[in-house]
Amino acid sequence: MAPVTTPRHDGPSADGATLDPVTFEVLKNSFVTLVDEMAEQILRTCHSFVIYARDFSCALCDAEGNTIMQGSQDIAVHVGTLHLKAKAVLEDFAGDINEGDVFAVNDPYRGGTHFSDVSVIRPIFADGELVAMAQANGHWADMGGSVPGSFDVSATDHFGEGVRIPPIRIVDRGVVRHDVIGLVAHNTRAPGDIIGDCHAQIEATRVAEQEVFRLVDKYGSRTVTTAFGAVQDYVERLTRARIAALPDGVWETEDHLDLDPGKEEGLVAVRLKMTIEGDEISYDLSGSDPAISSFLNSGSGVAFSGAIASAKTFLPDIPLNSGFYRAVKVDVGPEGTVVNAGWPNAVTGCVSGAYEKIMSAGFELWSQLMPERALACCFNLEYLLVGGRDARRDDRPFFMWYDWMAGGWGGRHGKDGQNATSPVFGVGLAVQPLEGQERLTPVLTSVHEIIPDSGGPGRHRGGCGVRKGGTLTDVEHSVMSYCCDRGRAVTWGIGGGMPSLPHGVWLNRGTDRERYLGANFSGVAVERGDRFERPSAGGGGLGDPLLRDPAEVLEDVIDGYVTLRRAERDYGVVVREIDAELSQYEVDAQATERVRAEQRIERVDWLDEDPEEVATRFRNGELDVMDLVRRHGVILDWGSGELLPRTTEQYRSLLRRRSAAQWTAP
Amino acid sequence: MNSERDRRTVVAVDVGGTFTDVCVLDQDSGELQVAKVPSTANPIDGVLAGVGHAGVDLERVALFCHGTTVATNALITRRLPKAAMVTTKGFRDVIEIRRGTRDDLWDAYKDNAEPYVRRRDRFEVGERIDCEGNVVEPFDEAGARDVARILARRGVEAIAVCFINAYANPEHEERMAEILREVLPDVAISTSSGVLPELFEHERFSTTVANAVLSPLVSGYVNQLGERLEEDGYDGDLLILHSGGGVMTPEAVQKLSVRLAASGIAAGAVACQHTASLCGYPNAIGLDMGGTSTDISLVHDGQLRTTNEWFVEYGYPICFPSIEVLTIGAGGGSLGTIDAAGSLRNGPQSAGSIPGPAAYGQGGVEPTNTDANVVLGRLGSELAGGEMTLDPVPAEEAIRTRIAEPLGLEVHEAASAMLQVANANMADAVRLISLQRGYDPREFALVVFGGAGALHGAALAKELSIPTVVVPPRPGAWSALGCLMVDIRHDLSTMFLSAAGDADPAEIERAFLELEAEGRAMLETENVPPEKIRLERSIAMRYLGQWRSMDVPVPAPLTDLDASLEQFHREHEREFSYRRDDAPVELYRLQLTAIGETQRVALPREEERPDAALPDPLLERDVWFDGDEQPRRTPVFHRDSLPAGLQFVGPAVIDQLDSTTLVPPGVLVEIDEWRNIRMHITEVS
Repeated sequence: MAPVTTPRHDGPSADGATLDPVTFEVLKNSFVTLVDEMAEQILRTCHSFVIYARDFSCALCDAEGNTIMQGSQDIAVHVGTLHLKAKAVLEDFAGDINEGDVFAVNDPYRGGTHFSDVSVIRPIFADGELVAMAQANGHWADMGGSVPGSFDVSATDHFGEGVRIPPIRIVDRGVVRHDVIGLVAHNTRAPGDIIGDCHAQIEATRVAEQEVFRLVDKYGSRTVTTAFGAVQDYVERLTRARIAALPDGVWETEDHLDLDPGKEEGLVAVRLKMTIEGDEISYDLSGSDPAISSFLNSGSGVAFSGAIASAKTFLPDIPLNSGFYRAVKVDVGPEGTVVNAGWPNAVTGCVSGAYEKIMSAGFELWSQLMPERALACCFNLEYLLVGGRDARRDDRPFFMWYDWMAGGWGGRHGKDGQNATSPVFGVGLAVQPLEGQERLTPVLTSVHEIIPDSGGPGRHRGGCGVRKGGTLTDVEHSVMSYCCDRGRAVTWGIGGGMPSLPHGVWLNRGTDRERYLGANFSGVAVERGDRFERPSAGGGGLGDPLLRDPAEVLEDVIDGYVTLRRAERDYGVVVREIDAELSQYEVDAQATERVRAEQRIERVDWLDEDPEEVATRFRNGELDVMDLVRRHGVILDWGSGELLPRTTEQYRSLLRRRSAAQWTAP
Repeated sequence: MNSERDRRTVVAVDVGGTFTDVCVLDQDSGELQVAKVPSTANPIDGVLAGVGHAGVDLERVALFCHGTTVATNALITRRLPKAAMVTTKGFRDVIEIRRGTRDDLWDAYKDNAEPYVRRRDRFEVGERIDCEGNVVEPFDEAGARDVARILARRGVEAIAVCFINAYANPEHEERMAEILREVLPDVAISTSSGVLPELFEHERFSTTVANAVLSPLVSGYVNQLGERLEEDGYDGDLLILHSGGGVMTPEAVQKLSVRLAASGIAAGAVACQHTASLCGYPNAIGLDMGGTSTDISLVHDGQLRTTNEWFVEYGYPICFPSIEVLTIGAGGGSLGTIDAAGSLRNGPQSAGSIPGPAAYGQGGVEPTNTDANVVLGRLGSELAGGEMTLDPVPAEEAIRTRIAEPLGLEVHEAASAMLQVANANMADAVRLISLQRGYDPREFALVVFGGAGALHGAALAKELSIPTVVVPPRPGAWSALGCLMVDIRHDLSTMFLSAAGDADPAEIERAFLELEAEGRAMLETENVPPEKIRLERSIAMRYLGQWRSMDVPVPAPLTDLDASLEQFHREHEREFSYRRDDAPVELYRLQLTAIGETQRVALPREEERPDAALPDPLLERDVWFDGDEQPRRTPVFHRDSLPAGLQFVGPAVIDQLDSTTLVPPGVLVEIDEWRNIRMHITEVS
């Protein structure tokens, strides 16, 4: 997509000052450096392992709170929310913002993400005038609420979730308000770390302030503030030029959460409409289902962010600031829906819930718009928490094993999806080393490996997911919670590609104490000796799997990404073992041709088989989970084996639309 | 055989991607010779060609030091031997899962590199050790033997043995290695506890796997080089520069090949450190600017900054101390472009060597920094002593059509704008490596080298408020000299996780003594005499709850921690602008650097003449300087004609075979006793 025009740089600005192209480029790059400097400082001084795993973001905002520049390694979900938090501070403290002040805010009903993401915001003054705001936003390990880690899946409103921080002043004209910080910190389970992180963030905003001072000294405050506006204009122009090159039109789709626990079984829809008109995109989420009675809803800021992030994924080289938001607009619809829940509906699990559904729905639409950058559904963010007392030490300290996995990304145009990669919610979010976890918590990891066959089959296979589990060794008074989704609305393929596998945690699998806990649960009591494991899904496949080159399937078998059994069942490719010790296998071309011809005829009927009958065959062990979600489109309660008829009906219609309708005919 | 006395020549060879640089120093005459030859497919051919080109008689050479990109290139191009990995059951994919992150956050089509060992070549053995080093699941001997048998059938050349928690107890890994050695006696085996006995499985495994895959190749290279040098009459020590800015003997390379992963990059940083120290600057920033990229390094208090988070390809860390070098895509060949929204950009795209800058007249039509320098008169009409001519006509044409006209500027304005953007980008990179770490650039000297460094040095210093720029005598090949300026250096460490308040200094002392014994033994096998051995201790510390730690030097013997803790608070405050005296400090890792001092190399020195007079210029030409409305008539001097002790004020252009130095108006030039050009930027805006 080459630029159509080479417009002259006119350096427009609010006060009519203009910038020469050199000063503009120099200042723009300085702003990039400035936010990255903040990030580096946080990374080196933070206490929360969640922040250390890069769940944080930094921004420089202008005097109106608009984002001028955001960190290049920032977590996706914070995109499009930072300006809202800055604006909330400006609104609440209008006329009372002073040099040396620092504020904090986490309010998800004011554009924040969830309670755990706390922004520290410092107004920056030049010649006595507010010119900018530096913001450091980080995920604190605990924010109070009913469960360790502040992720109470069963919470239906904010009171069970954690401390809500409307804009508050934590430094007053240079004096740290220990009382205010203490009030917040002592309502959490780890006050020492919270105070440590608060310091780290306050100092990071000071780094930004110093740098703004340096620029103001050198270029003058008028030039610098002009550049604040010009950088936003620049991004807006860049974005509009790219959108203008796309065809006009309206695209619609829906993606789903597994269920509303307060209602009958059945998928919950997030509906996304995208309209391109000239050089603007507008998203509309207003048709989405009502808010659900779990914490997977999102607030308006997160819904906005999800739509923006899906666009950014397809325009990856455009820098993000408020200029982007002028060309890409989002209508999150009325309050009270799963995407715009409103106070006091619970929203802490938004990133696993509504947020990633908005992003995935966006991926599906953009894949039609830009097939050369198509991306099937990626695995859903998941995190598992075990919290309680660590009996390895005499003083029985509180511990929190808070774990998230990498998983598979969707199949792509011309190539397979990426194996074991961080979730779309934040590709910079690093998984934790189990050796570190074992020192800090009484949980012994037994496995951390790629799951064979987890990549959704397709002409271009989804990337593989991961399995992680372990044994609880010296735990006391401990509970387990899981924040995830897509146990039923399984990670899907596009253009004829197939789904991956359902999420869900198993306790003591294969023993007489086996329990399936599902993809979203809270506060399950666990004890010493319990074993657990759960998968992260692979990505969905792209294109008809019966068209996949048998040579690629052979390579997958050699590497164990695909098993012999599923090479035949999912791809119709018959692979024979010659000498497994030497990784020698071969494709039986004749048998492959025969199997593929048979499957082309038979597969269309698999989706019409009686679901009850399919469920029975599953319970008898004739069929496995992958057969059900891929071949038959049947969704069960994976623990009891009980059929979920309404969910199955919805799931089948999705499978028909995204997959079967695009298979090659026999 | 020549006697010790006769052998006074030292040779340094730096093999880069494009050129092999050879520096030859005759320590008697003080003569410094430089040769630049193209790098070759087998780099050793290039090394020997360079040595021949420089007219070196290897029988008269006392010391041969070498920096090489062989390991870096092998990792990038994946020309690696057939390797396998053996790991704990359940953890076959640790190196593929990595930390999950991707280098490019937003571009779903940009993939991380594949692991160095494919999944099909990764094997599991039943065993498990917990974080305290206790055996939770016994080592499966039968399973291990089976794996060894299969690996023998496969004919692998290198094996990495990586078990969970092996840093806390290496027994199982060692047993596995024993079995493998029995069955595969000729195969290079690396254990994670032997390579890097540190916490965090992916980082340790990744480093170990890199070591394993490099081992046959790099050892082979070093051995072959040694043999060929010997054939040509050399019988002294061969020392190889490692990523941490020390040298290793070929014997040490056999065990820790991975330490050469950044060998080539480290040389320039070491050269900068040496120049700064000769000039009496404790703090210096090194700027090694070549055709396509610039390497930036930082010396503080005489020490180069090192990092343990270094990688050749994103996602596969090599966790040995490596000199921190920031590489950015800005060089003489970097292209000036206007992007879709009308902003003037510089680099990282480059014209490369083909077609090269428009001024080379090889068909390049896009404007580069070199073209801008030609248009502004800062570069003359020839390079490399006339081996290459520069044609201003196509240079002007490129800038006029691609930059000046779209932006509505005069050609010279456009050229100046291009260079200002390039300089600003480099300045930002310097800020990242200095300000971001709490260092104020105004307290540093800027040492510039590489082909293009001296052209940009003064402008960059001005931008950064750096008072002094140093241009060493042979900027084009200066980085090779870095290989000669270092000692043998081994970095050893052991985990020591403990609250500082609970730590028993006697226990720490014992652990350090063990590390020292190990370090001393390594140096002794390398024939370092006792009086040349130096052991430096440090402890990695952090505030309890933090994730990163800071290295704090500690004395030997260690009787208490008070002074070291105070130093930690102080350093934390310097780097991050705050300290928390009330917060408990945690010790993380004990570290030992075992140094074997090599013979000191003396650079030629020239008495400064108080009466040194400015020679006649070669010629005068019109040069545009930043901020000028008109070009200035500017004298061009040949560098060799400028005697030590000379002082004069710019504007001037100083030409030499391998570089051109631009002296802006008002800048005071001084030629020092080491024949460095020092530019004192007096007008700091």
